[in-house]
Amino acid sequence: MSHDSHHIIPFKTLATVFGALIVLTVLTVVAAALPLGPLDMPVAILIAVAKASLVVLYFMALKYDKPVNSLTFSVGTLFVVIFITFTLFDTAFRGDLGDVSSQTVDEITRQETEAGERQQQFTPEQMAVSPADYEALQNNESAADTTTADTADTE
Amino acid sequence: MDAATKGAEVAHEEHHDEAHDQNYLQYEPGIWNWLTTKDHKKIGIMYAVSLALVFLVAGVLAIMVRTELVSQGETIMDADTYNQVFTMHGILMVFLFLVPSIPAILGNFVLPLQIGAKDVAFPRLNLASWYVYMIGAIMTCAALYFGGVDTGWTFYTPYSSSTGGGVIWMTSAIFVSGFASIFTGLNFIVTIHKMRAPGMTWNRLPLFVWGLYATSIVQVLATPVIGITMLLLILERTMGIGIFDPALGGDPVLFQHFFWFYSHPAVYIMILPAFGVLSELIATFSRQRIFGYRAIALSSVAIAMLGFLVWGHHMFVSGQSAISSIIFSLITYLIGIPSGIKVFNWVATMYRGSIWLQTPMLYALSFLFLFTIGGFTGIMVGVLAVDVHLHDTYYVVGHFHYVMMGGSVMALLGGMHYWWPKITGRMYNETLGKIAVFLIFVGFNATFFSQLVLGAKGMPRRYYDYVDRFEALHQISTYGSYVLALGLFIVLFYGVYSMFFGPKAPANPWAAATLEWTNVAALPDPHNFVRTPLVTRGPYDFHLADEVFGSGDGVGDGQAASLDVPEPAPAAPEPSEEAPQNA
Amino acid sequence: MATDTTTDTPAAPAQTEVDLHDEEHLSHLQHHFVSSEQQFDSAKLGMWLFLITEVLLFSGMFVAYAVFRQWHPETFAAASQTLDWQLGGLNTVVLLASSFTIALAIHFIQKGEAMKSFWLQVGTIALAGVFLVVKYFEYTSKFEHGVFPGAMFDPHGVAHGVDYGALASYAYAPQFFSIYFVMTGIHGFHVVVGMILIGWIASRTYRGHFSSEYYTHIELSGLYWHLVDLVWIFLFPLLYLV
Ligand code: HEM
Ligand SMILES: [Cu+2]
Repeated sequence: MSHDSHHIIPFKTLATVFGALIVLTVLTVVAAALPLGPLDMPVAILIAVAKASLVVLYFMALKYDKPVNSLTFSVGTLFVVIFITFTLFDTAFRGDLGDVSSQTVDEITRQETEAGERQQQFTPEQMAVSPADYEALQNNESAADTTTADTADTE
Repeated sequence: MDAATKGAEVAHEEHHDEAHDQNYLQYEPGIWNWLTTKDHKKIGIMYAVSLALVFLVAGVLAIMVRTELVSQGETIMDADTYNQVFTMHGILMVFLFLVPSIPAILGNFVLPLQIGAKDVAFPRLNLASWYVYMIGAIMTCAALYFGGVDTGWTFYTPYSSSTGGGVIWMTSAIFVSGFASIFTGLNFIVTIHKMRAPGMTWNRLPLFVWGLYATSIVQVLATPVIGITMLLLILERTMGIGIFDPALGGDPVLFQHFFWFYSHPAVYIMILPAFGVLSELIATFSRQRIFGYRAIALSSVAIAMLGFLVWGHHMFVSGQSAISSIIFSLITYLIGIPSGIKVFNWVATMYRGSIWLQTPMLYALSFLFLFTIGGFTGIMVGVLAVDVHLHDTYYVVGHFHYVMMGGSVMALLGGMHYWWPKITGRMYNETLGKIAVFLIFVGFNATFFSQLVLGAKGMPRRYYDYVDRFEALHQISTYGSYVLALGLFIVLFYGVYSMFFGPKAPANPWAAATLEWTNVAALPDPHNFVRTPLVTRGPYDFHLADEVFGSGDGVGDGQAASLDVPEPAPAAPEPSEEAPQNA
Repeated sequence: MATDTTTDTPAAPAQTEVDLHDEEHLSHLQHHFVSSEQQFDSAKLGMWLFLITEVLLFSGMFVAYAVFRQWHPETFAAASQTLDWQLGGLNTVVLLASSFTIALAIHFIQKGEAMKSFWLQVGTIALAGVFLVVKYFEYTSKFEHGVFPGAMFDPHGVAHGVDYGALASYAYAPQFFSIYFVMTGIHGFHVVVGMILIGWIASRTYRGHFSSEYYTHIELSGLYWHLVDLVWIFLFPLLYLV
């Protein structure tokens, strides 16, 4: 009974992979000792990914395995990356809406005042938007009041 | 190949001889045999019983919540009790009922039948799933005993890392029952990949199978994360590891990322199998080939994947960065597309079909209506600016009940009615069934539409009291929930009644064209198929199924007798041999 | 009939060209499978699916690491200095070696040399034991200086040129060590589980349950063990080096 999925990986290949893994381990230690600055992390991760790929492809024999198993593993890895990336979208930019200095507040107040003044130039007919506004117009109320109408009774 | 499959026949001949006239319920009776069974059908039933109990308990809690809210002030319980009651309602419904529901009950029972397999790939793992689930359920009881939980079903830190005695038990229960979910999902993926009958290609898979496939992907990918989240929460409480608790230097928003990375995909664990059920119902009861088979199948998978990219829409006002709120909001809009594709396809399937308004179809139609509202309100709360106002109001409560109850539970009920004859071998009472759907539909809308209005007016969620101007709507909601409950009790009543006194069901009462109806006896054989079927057509090829159903030629008159039942698929070795059970 | 079943997708896997008369005598073939090929493929896919659940379980910890590291890089740099990279490196080599031995165990069982395979499995367990012993010394040397996970964190003293007391001046040092202990703790738990698993498999190999025809259990345990190694490959540089 011979199945192509039961590929026997030669001893030599396994030994070579093991050797490469050891070399990479030494390499990552050396790289960490070098003053790489901001490159420290990417280099370490790159080497780790290389090691992981060797383990997955040869020791775990994914290279010789059915494609569905590779697909499974790739999808799993993809979602780990998504998890980390999207969380960092938040944590790396946390507080980007935090700019509420007095200057910002002043500016907003000024814009609001301006807008309020502009509204004074319009007639109630021009300001009406909803059916309720038109009803209010007929009852001779100010259109702008309808938005407060339904909260009024609770106060 | 012929010889090979014939060999399989020979290999299992002795099974058939002893079990020939037997159905799976008579086969190996007795409580011990049930508790150790590896038969996917029996495990499905065991899950059904357990989940029905959970649903009953969680439902009673819901009625208590609604009763408390029928008038202002303290009605039947104080604020602390109220917190515990709505928390337990949410936890039980989400983690212990809705997440397992359709896959564990209907998926277990139907999946191997629909793809022509003798069982799921790992029957023992399947049984283990039920036991693990039961351990989770027992730990939940322990949580109640040790002081209860009042955090809401979301367990947000830092409150959850300091309150109550039951939180550790409850989070452990969720950790444990997560494994049940993983086992089911893993089992189904392998089953669908490896166990299909000859000729059952990917394009011939019934859409329920596709729905389960997409669900299983989510279960396998997302559930481990709730596991580690719960574990970290437990460590936070016991050792103060300071990852989530701000008092110790942790970040509570990080907890929400962890939680929603699971729990948003989890809502798709709840709805994707419901989509699958719906495709079966709509196709069968419209006697039409499903419109856009591929679009429906692949949109399920697309939703499963996209569903992992939107979790931050639950955190718009939690203090996450604005940039991620914007990204999450935009991706949330995308989710509407595949969901919309499905709804349009179902409607198109019904168009010019001969629609047969039996109870399962009525549930399917309710689903279409309610899920559409649920989906639209979902998009609305997905809009960043709008959600700032609607977040944590009854609008969100209305939204998720429209999708979870109006979507998933409706589909579950529809599916239970549809497969009831196959599961029990008996017919339920159609008249009572229709009355119940009507009550459920009306009660549901009264209960939850009023909540959408309440939310839009600013009623916050998770309070046991409110101001005057909300009273009328709260009362409508509460009375609606009583109607809803009445409808559900009627279902329970005639369901149990029919198990003992219902008329015997024929093998294919709905004249459906999928394998579990065409090639399986009225009550399935212990090994499902007497002969492994050879699949030669698609799951909804009613016209290829030997007899032609013209569109609208008098089939829609509600008379089962006027339906021609599709021929069974031939047995794998000799197509001429008809499986004996199909009269 | 054959034409009916061939479509644009590959034929259904249930159709396998296996001599079923052989299969009938195989005691390990469960009744709901058609062939041992199908049974093996199913088990393997199941195992890969299980492995990705493991990967996602660990991913939560990696997310926590990434977030806190990005917020408090100096703390993490200082705290990671107190970990002994030599012991960590030693453990890396030990685990890689154990991966190698289990891969060889599969290699030899495929060739039908069961006893070689058995001894390699024993070797794997022994290496795992070495890993745990080293880990034990690492943990205790931390505990001695009050470096505990979480609320009990109370660093003090100097040992082997490492100033633990200095950690007290970093507000977020407890986070680093919480993450360190939880990550390595969960990883260590997996090592223990792996030892038990391989121990069971080894005893079955010894009793001659496996052959070049049937060795699914060894292969699956091997996959699991490689995953344990895989996690460590990332833990080592992240915690000890950068
Ligand atoms: C069209 C697809 C959907 C979209 C765009 C959507 C969007 C959203 C958004 C933005 C929220 C957060 C609202 C807030 O907290 O302010 C939300 C809440 C929620 N959704 Fe959906 N949703 C969709 C479908 C579903 C489905 C199918 C389910 C379940 C079967 C579901 C279950 C929930 C639940 C349980 C919550 C509330 C969580 C809580 O307790 O805070 N949603 N949805
Ligand atoms: Cu969501």
